[in-house]
Amino acid sequence: MPSSNQQPLRNYRVLDLSRIWAGPYCTKLMADLGAEVIKMESLSVYDSHRGPVSPARGIASYPDSEPGEEPWNRNGWFNCLHMSKYGITLELTSDKGRQAFERLVSISDVLIENFRQGSLERLGYDYEALRKHRPDLIYVSMPAFGNTGPWKGYLGYGIGQEQLSGMAHLTGYPGDGPMKSGINHGDPITGSHAAGVLLAALRRRRRTGKGMYIDVSQQESAVAFMGPELLAYQMTGEEPERIGNRSRWYAPCNTYPCAAEDRWITIAATSDSEWRSLVSAMDAAPLADDVRFATAEARMAHQEELDAIIAGWTSDQDAFALAERLQAMGVPAGPVLRGPDLLDDKHYAQRGTFVNVDHPQVGPKQYPGIPWKMSRTPGEVRWPSPTLGQHNREILGGLLGLTGDEINALESDGVIGTKPTGSRII
Amino acid sequence: MLQSLVGNATISRMSGLLEGVRVLDLTHSIAGPYCTRLMAGLGADVVKAERLPAGDPIRRLGPFASRPNVFRDYGADEPVEDSAWHLYLNAGKRSVGLGLKTEEGRQVALDLASKADILVENFAPGTMDRLGLGFADLRRSNPALVITSISNFGQTGPYRDWRAAEATLYAMGGLMNITGEPDQEPLKEGAPLAQLGAGQNAFAATMAALMLAEETGEGQEIDVSIAEYATNILENALMQYSYSGQEYTRVGNRGYGRAAWGIYPCQDGHVGIIAGPDHRWPEVARIMEREELADPKYGSRRGRQEFADEVDALMLPWLIEHDKVGIFKAGQESGLGFSFVATMKDILEMEQLVSRGYFVNIEHPAAGSLTYPGAPITCEPDAEAWVFRRAPLFAEHTGPVLTDWLGLDAGHANELAGKGVISLGEKGAEA
Repeated sequence: MPSSNQQPLRNYRVLDLSRIWAGPYCTKLMADLGAEVIKMESLSVYDSHRGPVSPARGIASYPDSEPGEEPWNRNGWFNCLHMSKYGITLELTSDKGRQAFERLVSISDVLIENFRQGSLERLGYDYEALRKHRPDLIYVSMPAFGNTGPWKGYLGYGIGQEQLSGMAHLTGYPGDGPMKSGINHGDPITGSHAAGVLLAALRRRRRTGKGMYIDVSQQESAVAFMGPELLAYQMTGEEPERIGNRSRWYAPCNTYPCAAEDRWITIAATSDSEWRSLVSAMDAAPLADDVRFATAEARMAHQEELDAIIAGWTSDQDAFALAERLQAMGVPAGPVLRGPDLLDDKHYAQRGTFVNVDHPQVGPKQYPGIPWKMSRTPGEVRWPSPTLGQHNREILGGLLGLTGDEINALESDGVIGTKPTGSRII
Repeated sequence: MLQSLVGNATISRMSGLLEGVRVLDLTHSIAGPYCTRLMAGLGADVVKAERLPAGDPIRRLGPFASRPNVFRDYGADEPVEDSAWHLYLNAGKRSVGLGLKTEEGRQVALDLASKADILVENFAPGTMDRLGLGFADLRRSNPALVITSISNFGQTGPYRDWRAAEATLYAMGGLMNITGEPDQEPLKEGAPLAQLGAGQNAFAATMAALMLAEETGEGQEIDVSIAEYATNILENALMQYSYSGQEYTRVGNRGYGRAAWGIYPCQDGHVGIIAGPDHRWPEVARIMEREELADPKYGSRRGRQEFADEVDALMLPWLIEHDKVGIFKAGQESGLGFSFVATMKDILEMEQLVSRGYFVNIEHPAAGSLTYPGAPITCEPDAEAWVFRRAPLFAEHTGPVLTDWLGLDAGHANELAGKGVISLGEKGAEA
């Protein structure tokens, strides 16, 4: 196995039963920090981010929109979230599968799951049961609404958490209804949050020897981001207005059209000095003397006019050149970057924001990398996301000490494998 | 000990997962303070060094408890205590008024750093060096110090010195392009999710570095870029292009371009209709009392994409006649992941959150009693994870911190205050 000797979490093993995005983003961060993450799936119900067993052709999340013979190993949704993790399969409905699982628990520091509430419990694996196998286990359970309360059994998707946390209520064009984001913010917010708390719990375990059960409600993690707005509502008694790309605190701040189809630039002036720089960039001396825009308060009061003037100025300019020019003059400005722009961007290229990883069934492709730079332990993407059951032999043999014959028997009994068996997979 | 730190805030008996960890917090605005707020919430002793004479500029961003209709305080000299943003983002920290631009102020900062486990800052890159607080200076007397820097674009690269508002970060991080209607301008989120998310990611990385520093005696620097956080959570919006060269575009409220996966109007607001897997679709038709919806041509994801307008038109009459919570529950009770767009009022009254005891009331001398989101985690069996404390008044703890951390006596503190190096706050000034 490749080593990661210097990494902060090199001595920790995470047994990862989580699926989709929230849990996997948590364990992605753990893997980025050097933890040994063992992602465990079932052949009958694998991580649905792998996509259907027989997908329609032409779906763009497969390489060249081609699902190939093993589409579950070729899906970009999945392959961007499980790099540097080991992948195994194990059926918890069989006795031998349960034995192997319990032995894995006994040598793991952390178990993490984001099944629908109560699913693992129904298999006989609540915290108390698993503590018998690993007394100081950190057990992270992250169902949509937490493990208690009247909604505990409800289903939650990231898109729903954006709504139930109030994020969607704040987002939208002025005067229009709420708008969903292009992703599902609820998932990475919860995953990142769980990662931090789980590390604090691991650190405490190191000092006290005590494990812990951590109940992470995806909804509460998302509502935590709304704290200032919830306090604001109690002060004003009024629901926040949707203000598009504007700011409640300074003007101008908006997204303006540029030359070429669907090209946009964001421009903001958060202070008087940035406003003066913008006026000078616009070469529009009369604006500097215009009483409508003379003070921050006046600019807030005359945003409509201000936005129209700026949009008129940007609409025949190149978004990238204009952003460079405005930044050189000290104005917060940035082009709205699209997929190709991101992967070609000089800044991200220099920082290694995206990494090229060669997946055996995909070939070399660009992926989002590690979301921070650490000076002593920079870390790296150690290997591509595992194919289904890729590390069965390595983990069951190497870690648990099962013999080749025992592993073969598990395979022929359908306890482990590399081919999906389920019809429930969507 | 704890009691003396928290004044008259509502406190729990717990002391937190990070009790005993010392954090020197040189952050301001949103991203940095959210990172250190998580540490404070978990019980770390977070000392927030605030600039003279009026502290973190976030204190001037409204609304304010005493001025609900004001969104920005344009003054500069007097600290403001009751900003919604400050109250939330700085809850649980201790405030020290410290001028970093004087030599003696710099020395105080270095002394504090020598006693800290973690230092977090989110100045523009290069500022710490200019202040004489470069990483080497900070680490000289404290090699185990973990130094976390959060910035717009990171400490290196061509955009290192670029300025940014949340909108800039959302745009350059790739999230804006994919949010909003296809025929309108791209849209940012209403809440500053890029800054908050980057602060939260920085918290996780800092925890790992702290653990390593405690093992090895060696700290390190962590460089967190807010724009990079955004690029890290693009998921399929990036992968689709990387894998097949097809750009992800804006699809408004129709997730993945198909019907029944997004936000719809209803009688009293908006709901999220999520059809779920195809075999659950007939259930949606049944709930909405529309036989036509059960037509096999709408039975697959692809079908609902192809006939999205028809599906929407069939669903809308029922949606408009029903209320958001009723629709949400009708779906959920049938095993469908419906949701609704919660207003702030809805959230504060939400039965699930209330029954879990999520909210806490915290009393603040300037803002009064307000309801705050509480611990976004529950830890058992010891249940001592999270601590609830109010935000500090400006420079409220300068004297106590100089005593606790540096062992300075009141005379020395008064001398520094007299020279304008530190502020002892209102209480200190009275004494």
